[in-house]
Amino acid sequence: MSIPEIALNNVSKTYNPGLFKKKVQAVQDLTLEVGRGEVYGLIGPNGAGKSTTIRVLLGLIRPDGGEILFRGEPLRHGEFQKEIGYLPENPYLYDYLTLEEILQFCGRVSGCAAEDRRRRIDELTGKLQLDEALRRPLRAFSKGMLQRAGICFALLHDPSIVILDEPMSGLDPLGRKLVFDIVLELKEQGKTIFFCSHILSDVERLCDRMGVLVKGRLARTFARQDFAASQAAELHLLLPAADDNLRAELETLPGRLAAVAEGLLLSIPPSRLTETAAVLARLGVEIRGTRAERVSLEELFIATVEGGVS
Amino acid sequence: MNRVWALAVITYKEGIRNRSIFGILAFALFVLGLNVAVAGFFMREIGKVTVDMNLSALTFSGLLLVFFVALHLMAKDIDKKTIQLVFSKPLSRGEYIVGKYLGILCFVVVSLLVLAVFSSATVLLVRGLYPNYFAGFSWPVFFTAGFFILVQLAVLSAILILFSTVTTSSFASLIFTVCAYLVGVTIEDVVFYVKSGFRTEQISEAVKQTLDVVSHILPNFAMWDFKLEAAHGLVIAPERLGLALGYAAVYIVVVLALACLCFQRREFN
Repeated sequence: MSIPEIALNNVSKTYNPGLFKKKVQAVQDLTLEVGRGEVYGLIGPNGAGKSTTIRVLLGLIRPDGGEILFRGEPLRHGEFQKEIGYLPENPYLYDYLTLEEILQFCGRVSGCAAEDRRRRIDELTGKLQLDEALRRPLRAFSKGMLQRAGICFALLHDPSIVILDEPMSGLDPLGRKLVFDIVLELKEQGKTIFFCSHILSDVERLCDRMGVLVKGRLARTFARQDFAASQAAELHLLLPAADDNLRAELETLPGRLAAVAEGLLLSIPPSRLTETAAVLARLGVEIRGTRAERVSLEELFIATVEGGVS
Repeated sequence: MNRVWALAVITYKEGIRNRSIFGILAFALFVLGLNVAVAGFFMREIGKVTVDMNLSALTFSGLLLVFFVALHLMAKDIDKKTIQLVFSKPLSRGEYIVGKYLGILCFVVVSLLVLAVFSSATVLLVRGLYPNYFAGFSWPVFFTAGFFILVQLAVLSAILILFSTVTTSSFASLIFTVCAYLVGVTIEDVVFYVKSGFRTEQISEAVKQTLDVVSHILPNFAMWDFKLEAAHGLVIAPERLGLALGYAAVYIVVVLALACLCFQRREFN
């Protein structure tokens, strides 16, 4: 296996809020790897430790233990920063500066030549539809425009690794599509993308691999292929909710039974469909429909967070 | 250096476009206007009062600039988490401190220069109205005193940066910086009183020693105060100017080095 771009090995971080306050264990023994050109989505409920993971990675906070490797070597800040672009959740840029000034600053500190800066500014602001706002002060920007300005700031120096913390936050549907397309384009360019999001449909569509972070621990990692595999191997029948007796009867059927938002989901091998349908008819249980996937990412996420994924 | 300068430039621009400076400018203009209006009431002291009032207006406006605008140039980065974006770029914490300081310094210099132009115009006007009462007045001494107001603000800006690196709120930084200034402007008088024979009550050795240590740690702002000389048109010895400048330079370097050290340890949640 090739050397991962980013590897976190047993990283832990505990916050000490001060005297007489309980310590908060934000991240515990977190181990994860992000391969070159991979899109890795870190999902988890609020307070799970997603932003802490990013801050540890950026060197904004020091981990209590563990190691962080960048291309197989212990991470050295400065070198790492040249390779990354970072978008925080709700980026706040300087009120009285114009977008052009802040992007010029970004290019200068990243070591871009003047002509490259100009070209990238035109390119990015054009793509993100901010070209007409280039000379407006940032305090006049809407939340969505600030988010897009933050994306321009993150991508200006053409980084090989992009770290996005809730990139769709505060965006309207059109803005979301713009950002979605940008992330897809970055993916096509072979950039490594590490991102946190609450919008699971975006994570599902964009990510090659996903990790579910619960109370600072990586509870589960799965790849997009896992969904495809479950889709191909089984037939998923959507049944109405049932009482305990009926549920006990259903559990005797071949396959697996799982509770979903709409009722119950019975996953069976395709060869057992006729037999199962007959039993369901005898029990008076109607088949309400079929589903392409046994569980959606949302169900998997909820089940993982509640600690009961099957 | 390019990175430091890039940060200094945006810090300066962010400061100079802040609308609060219009309020501070209006206040300074009010005081200068008041000076013209009331100058006639001071009879033979017109020259001294004019110079003193002008330099005091410059000092007070400069303090407002540092406390209410410069403070936010540093503290807002931390409060609003802009610093996370800045540190996602290849900019070290030391470069950040130096860049911020240079930006704040440029902002203070330009603002004070604008105020100095108005102040000089006021002195020129009052001098034109009452030429007989400006016999001892000297422009070089007046500008020297004005320059050392700038030096005081430069030291104060460095102290503000140090406190911003160690406190978690901008309000705490403001309080600590104001306290440092107040203690700094009075420390010389206190030390003089303790060491002199004027006092009647006994002061313990421990208090004296503590005061001695504090007087070295805190900036002695009286070292950079030449209002009295400017008001009376007294010549300032070059050695005194050199000593004051050297003290300021050393103090700024030490304070910024400490700020860098504290900032290296700081975590940004």
